[in-house]
Amino acid sequence: MSAATPAGGRIRSAMGLMRSFPAQFWSRLSLQERLALIFVPAAIVAGVVTVLAVVLLGPPFLDFLGANLPLVRFAVAATAILLLTVPTAFVLIYLELKVIARMNLRIGPNRVGPWGIAMSVIHGFKVLSKEDFAPTGADITVFTLAPVVTYMASVMTLLVIPFAPGLIGQDLNIGLLYFFSMGGLTVVGLLMAGWSSFNKYSLLGGLRSAAQIISYEIPLTLSVVGVIILAGTMSMNRIVLAQSGSLLDWFVFKQPLAALIFFIAATAEANRTPFDMTEADSEIVAGFATEYSGMRFGFFFFAEYVNVFIVSALVATVFFGGWTAPFQWPWAYNLNWFNPWSFGFFGWLAIVLTVGYFGTIFFAVFARLFGGREWGLWASMGLGFLFLLVVVAGLVVLAGFIAFDWVAGLVWFMAKTYAFVITFVWMRATLPRVRVDQLMGFAWKWLLPASLLNLFVTATAVVLLNR
Amino acid sequence: MPAHQHAPRTSPARATTRAARPHPQPSADDASARQYSSADDPRVMLDRQVGALFEPIPPYPTRTEREGEFYSLGDGEMFLNVGPHHPATHGVLRLVLKLSGEQIVDVDPVLGYLHRGVEKICENSDYYHVIDQVDPLEYVSSLFQEWAAVLSFEKLMDVQVPRRAEYIRVLSGELLRIASHTLFMGFLALDLGGLTPILYSFIERDEIVEMLAALTGARMLFNYFRVGGVNGDLNHEFMSRLGDWMTRAAKQTEAQAGLLNENEIFVRRMRGVGVLDRATALRYGVTGGNLRASGVPFDLRRAHPYSVYPELDFNIPTRDEGDSLARYLIRVDEVRESIKIVDQCLHNMPDGPVMARLPRLIRPRPGRAWGACEGPRGMLGVYTISDGSDGPFRFRIHDPSFLNLETVPALLPGNLLADTMAVVSSLDPVMGGIDK
Repeated sequence: MSAATPAGGRIRSAMGLMRSFPAQFWSRLSLQERLALIFVPAAIVAGVVTVLAVVLLGPPFLDFLGANLPLVRFAVAATAILLLTVPTAFVLIYLELKVIARMNLRIGPNRVGPWGIAMSVIHGFKVLSKEDFAPTGADITVFTLAPVVTYMASVMTLLVIPFAPGLIGQDLNIGLLYFFSMGGLTVVGLLMAGWSSFNKYSLLGGLRSAAQIISYEIPLTLSVVGVIILAGTMSMNRIVLAQSGSLLDWFVFKQPLAALIFFIAATAEANRTPFDMTEADSEIVAGFATEYSGMRFGFFFFAEYVNVFIVSALVATVFFGGWTAPFQWPWAYNLNWFNPWSFGFFGWLAIVLTVGYFGTIFFAVFARLFGGREWGLWASMGLGFLFLLVVVAGLVVLAGFIAFDWVAGLVWFMAKTYAFVITFVWMRATLPRVRVDQLMGFAWKWLLPASLLNLFVTATAVVLLNR
Repeated sequence: MPAHQHAPRTSPARATTRAARPHPQPSADDASARQYSSADDPRVMLDRQVGALFEPIPPYPTRTEREGEFYSLGDGEMFLNVGPHHPATHGVLRLVLKLSGEQIVDVDPVLGYLHRGVEKICENSDYYHVIDQVDPLEYVSSLFQEWAAVLSFEKLMDVQVPRRAEYIRVLSGELLRIASHTLFMGFLALDLGGLTPILYSFIERDEIVEMLAALTGARMLFNYFRVGGVNGDLNHEFMSRLGDWMTRAAKQTEAQAGLLNENEIFVRRMRGVGVLDRATALRYGVTGGNLRASGVPFDLRRAHPYSVYPELDFNIPTRDEGDSLARYLIRVDEVRESIKIVDQCLHNMPDGPVMARLPRLIRPRPGRAWGACEGPRGMLGVYTISDGSDGPFRFRIHDPSFLNLETVPALLPGNLLADTMAVVSSLDPVMGGIDK
């Protein structure tokens, strides 16, 4: 055979090498080389494509954006709000774990990061890395869409919440109405999840959520009508402005009953204890989310916590003055004399180095004094540096608080919102769950008449006083 | 063709698969072929998968009239399996609920997921090992199960237990009763959605369990009582822990009861739910706090006194309502009474030995004996037949949780799904004892 001849053998072996070239070549590479071989060409191609796109499409695209500024504003706001939800949910999850733990005489998460602050991030990774599973018999399309609908419904409500003067997604003139209609969409997602999961617990959870959210939306909406009458507008920004001035201008003092009804109904709307019928773990396992795992469950989870934030933000906005300060700032001070550009680059470098060096040593002394011998030199230096960073960050926020309107507004808004978030967490740690019939009875027999009464009294008073 | 060029690839593997799986040719007269072609419709495939996945309910032809009645669904009704793996069933209890909406029409409790054949194991052991074997039955309050077995053996042997040993038994038993009731309160709240009380319960229980560990050497499965006494006298660590705990026990109990008693949501969910009237309770053979909540002042410690209970001063709390709230409140009252008993035990503790003088190997005369004590859940009884050997010939355990749980089908219908947990939890079943 030709295999015996030298020429044929050479040809055969060359052919074999060529055929096995890619496999052997690849298997002899180390991991770093493989990664480099994948990512370097990819990066080169991506860079070339990006540069080409910018050069070719950039100018016309910029022209287009310049001609459609509202569109830009919308895109930026939507992106910012979408990006806002994840850290918000992370903070809320950690807050809930920690606060409930303290109330239960536990310590709570304390292993991941200092004081366990990375716990929610780890939760996120855990959820991401789980199997994306759908049970047999599930309606896959609806099953997949349900978390998206729920999540988007929560996120879209964030668009009309005024975080600070000028910091609002879109100041609609029907802001409150938009809010309630978008909030009502949540129930569609929950119903979809409950129906498509092919599980009786899910079905019960979905139906419970439908009954509950629809029932509580009526007192929720009716209780705000008094505020709308007083403010004369449905725009969230103008509702906030109507409460500016002092603490006594807040609507909670003009509409105390409405505020109470609103808070209770909002608890039910966010599916929080004691109204967490939809995921009553001791009754219907996990309600609509029973069959969900992985990131689909993660979206429900995020939506729940974003909902808590939104509801707290709405209570703060409508009844507690939103971003307005509770009292007039007693001393007017402006920082206009301070020009950060006057120092120059080397000036700033000198400042940063000096403050960093001496500040670190200053705080390290405290760490050394109070930490005792357990803190070594470098540990106390590190802690001192950390303290310094916190103090500097605090000072920067304080300067911003004094100098800029929107920083002050944001600080006040967040303070008020998180006060209500902690109230929700506190309620969860304290109260047992009500029963379904008690829940519905409370909505229809007590909250609805009370909100109607409130509306009647408010309208009468406004008519009489304006006469 | 040049040598380095390949012949065009004709994937032989794929070709054979194709040949092996020819496209179905439906014909009018072939029934199986028709079925096969209809499977192309995704909806039909779904139905088939689901049908193959879930067995019909029940998976066998109904055997009794009651089963036939239970498993026939009315209009708008459905079955819901609560358990055996469910967050709120206290172990592996399975309740098949027949629901109309959220309202319970009928209930069928299914037991036996935890059956180990403890009675048979005990019959194969000698008398000392029996004490060890019965421990995990009522794992929340295992001393009482030991106590019942030991009582029955002592009747067989006709032993006089030293008074100090009797006082130590009462002392440790009442401590464990407090621990058990405290845990009951926490789990009841947890089943109603309250997160916090359970953790307070466990703090309280941990203190008691730790002090019992100092006394007996184990936290849960004590193996402490012996025929004719107890294994080991009171020691310093136990007494110091007990004294420490007694200074705040009453206050702590009131604080914990206040967490729930004064909670409007809790009271409203418990009041009038699962009412067990006096006649039904007696007919089902319910004992313990569940019976006393229905207005029958039956407590073995007073009705058939054993140990040194006749010398102690305590009340038998009763209530007339018979609902879940009454069952809960009875437990709170019993904790108060138990604290009184512990106090008296400490004051009246006599000196002396803690074990009667007995041979190493126990061989009672042939005979039979019934020993029973009042556990936290009711009458814990043991019936022993001896054939004169060193182990029981027949060993029968009467567990109160089993009889208490039997009332669930009588209590639940008409209530809502959420009440299942309130009612079952208020009966305080321990599945280890029920399934034996």
